[in-house]
Amino acid sequence: MKIKIVLILLALCFTSIAAVWYYVFQYSKTHHRDVELENAIAVTAGQLVKDYQANESSANAHYLNKVIQIKGDVIKEGKDQAGNYTVTLKSNDPFSGVLCTLKNGSKISGTHSTIVVKGICAGFLTDVVLNEGVIVK
Amino acid sequence: MKKATLLLFFAGLSFGLHAQKIFSTTTGQIRFNASSPLEKVIGINNQVDSKMVDKTGQVIFSALIKSFKFENQLMEDHFNENYLESSKFPKAEFRGFITNIGTVNFAKDGKYTANFSGTLTIHSVSQKVSTTGEITIAKGTPTVNGAFKVKLADYGITGSYIGGKIANEAEVTVNCKYQ
Repeated sequence: MKIKIVLILLALCFTSIAAVWYYVFQYSKTHHRDVELENAIAVTAGQLVKDYQANESSANAHYLNKVIQIKGDVIKEGKDQAGNYTVTLKSNDPFSGVLCTLKNGSKISGTHSTIVVKGICAGFLTDVVLNEGVIVK
Repeated sequence: MKKATLLLFFAGLSFGLHAQKIFSTTTGQIRFNASSPLEKVIGINNQVDSKMVDKTGQVIFSALIKSFKFENQLMEDHFNENYLESSKFPKAEFRGFITNIGTVNFAKDGKYTANFSGTLTIHSVSQKVSTTGEITIAKGTPTVNGAFKVKLADYGITGSYIGGKIANEAEVTVNCKYQ
């Protein structure tokens, strides 16, 4: 009976160690946040920039590291230095917009003046910056 | 009439002599490397905002901590939550000058040495830094490269793995291709 308990405990220990090892060294290496699976805060590009310009700390408390779904007019499309597609949406301020780096394999198909994009908010520099973006429509 | 023409000529010449160009990008790159023999700790940020003035050499590199991407999501989470505390301190920035900008000929393609001197702010701690990098001019467009050694403790960045799995000193490499 004692041997049985010891064996069960050993098996449990082994399984736990293997699970932690798999999560830290295997799963985390390949699995990143998936914006498509997360609920998003819906806002227009103009309103997002306005919120950041009005009060950056309070905007960060509301948007930072959250998934945001933005609707806006495209003013620029391009690629960053690593070759990822980027899209910049217009706000009411000509010096500031929303820069979104699209997720690997995602890009705008066709010519659209207004798009809806979903991404993770990283904060505010000249533009409000989103990453891991996907085009919703 | 002659006077007016001369005046216009000198006004134009003066404007030409004093006109300065501001180069900028919002998709520059910074690489943060705090690898140790035990662990590869490398984060890359491709959303670096930078501006450079050709006449004065004034330069700014700004980066959001949450834009650093690591191969391992767990490492990225720890970098943000436990070390750089990006929710409290979302930005890092270098503001300063390329002190020998006068030696760079923006009209001539080539590679030029660039001496950077300024203030680096990470984790809300500012330190004076200087380093030597390079400006490459290709078809009138400059690309700036530079690297800073950053002792994590100097910026109030602490954590149990620093000095073990994470190096005490990180190398921050900047590469900005201006538009």
